[in-house]
Amino acid sequence: DSHIQYERVGADVTMKCGSMDWDAAVTWTANGTDIDESHLNGSYLILKNVDLSQSGQYSCYEGSSWHLKYQTYLRVGTPPKEPVLMCRSNNYPKGFYCSWHLPTPTYIPNSFNISVIHGTKEMVCEKDAIPKNRCHIRYLQLFSTVKYKVTLTVTNALGKNFTTLTFDEFAIVKPDPPESVVAKPVPNNPRRLEVSWQNPSSWPDPESFPLKFFLRYRPLILDQWQHVELSDGTLHTITDAYAGKEYIIQVAAKDNDIGTWSDWSVAVHATPWTEEPKHLTTEAQITETTSASTSSFMAPPTTKICDKGAMVGSGAVAVCWTAGLVVAAYSVLFI
Amino acid sequence: MAGADSPSTALRRRDLCTRGIRLVGKMRSDVIDLLDTYVERQGLDASASVAAVEGVPPAAVERWDEQTGTQRLLENLAAYRAFRTLLAQMLEEQREQLGEADAALGRALASVLLQVSAFAYHLEELLQLESRSPPSEEGDGPPPQPHLSLFEQKLRGLGVLRELAQWAVRSSRDLRQLAKPSPGTGSAPGLAESP
Repeated sequence: DSHIQYERVGADVTMKCGSMDWDAAVTWTANGTDIDESHLNGSYLILKNVDLSQSGQYSCYEGSSWHLKYQTYLRVGTPPKEPVLMCRSNNYPKGFYCSWHLPTPTYIPNSFNISVIHGTKEMVCEKDAIPKNRCHIRYLQLFSTVKYKVTLTVTNALGKNFTTLTFDEFAIVKPDPPESVVAKPVPNNPRRLEVSWQNPSSWPDPESFPLKFFLRYRPLILDQWQHVELSDGTLHTITDAYAGKEYIIQVAAKDNDIGTWSDWSVAVHATPWTEEPKHLTTEAQITETTSASTSSFMAPPTTKICDKGAMVGSGAVAVCWTAGLVVAAYSVLFI
Repeated sequence: MAGADSPSTALRRRDLCTRGIRLVGKMRSDVIDLLDTYVERQGLDASASVAAVEGVPPAAVERWDEQTGTQRLLENLAAYRAFRTLLAQMLEEQREQLGEADAALGRALASVLLQVSAFAYHLEELLQLESRSPPSEEGDGPPPQPHLSLFEQKLRGLGVLRELAQWAVRSSRDLRQLAKPSPGTGSAPGLAESP
């Protein structure tokens, strides 16, 4: 006869060769390979301190006839640790789902049972086909102050464990991140980026249950994020972007009144509009070079630092004396 | 069956709903602050479970999405009228127990009571817009309370404020449902009344 035998890691296992006497001559195999006689006590197979690698098919044959007398499938594993359980409503007010997993594998099959109680009422948590460690519940009541109590029990051949979660209706509301986030430069505006997004498609009724949003953005070259909270609408224009720098932008969502913020959306990248550089022809380059030596240095208006009257020197190296002092001061600092 | 709204009625409803949503949002924020103050000043445990208190209208509702607009307004009005009486009782009890020793709590309670009254009036206006007179208040209000110990009064107060906070969320959703334009008919959804 053949069956499955479950044993804990570290246990000592004794296998009998079916109904054979202790002193019968037998041969044991593990996955078709003969087992050394040192592991035998008479016709019993002794496995001490079993580990996961010793899982497999064990067979016992009568010594002379090689008749198969006993076969078992040994599965070495562990009893379950306390499972990790999470419940969340990403489709409020329709319902919520609970999902779970084990913190460490047991290496043997486990079964899960979940119970949901609201006040005195037991609710049905319908298991999802995929993923199979998840079930969902439809709200029968809204705006209740009575807490929900969810208990998950995990059982396998070596033991059982459980965990309980207690929460109120509002606390577990957490939308999915906003979708279709798009960031575009604004023509002729070197410091603006226009960001748009959509409500998560899983949020069933944004009109009656509006979402608010949190937008964060930073140039790739910096670590610090800027944040903006937006109470309505799915469009925002960033007006303080650094010109010419590529930005990374993300958006999160939250119900206007209750629950917690979603995870951040997929990040999008965008660079503000910049003016196209002028391309010069060869003749133009020559004309430019000829005139450069005769024109005086002209600082751009925003960076004007001194008047014409304060100039010293002449021609291409004309420098105002104030600028000269500044340069000299920096030079002293770095010597 | 109610006929289609005139454009001015629809606009007025939308305006009242928008203002009502703002009013109830501010009220909820103040109730949550008041809850923190109340728990602290009354020496209560914030996580204490309070059984359903007689006379406190529960915000919990089944099949919320199937309610008509008139049902929403009537249930809201009944609730806020009850809260008006309950908060007035709490204010009286607080003054008797603590007197001037805790003027801040008294002021916070009075402020919320004022907002509850204002919102009840707002709901009456919305009902009148639906050509429906608000029900009279005779015989309304929570039943007379048996004499409660000081601790029971405090717990009851906690229950009142918690339920009011729930109602504030529900009312915001109710008004948003009311404010939704109904496609084709020009009337808000769920406002059809039985003949």
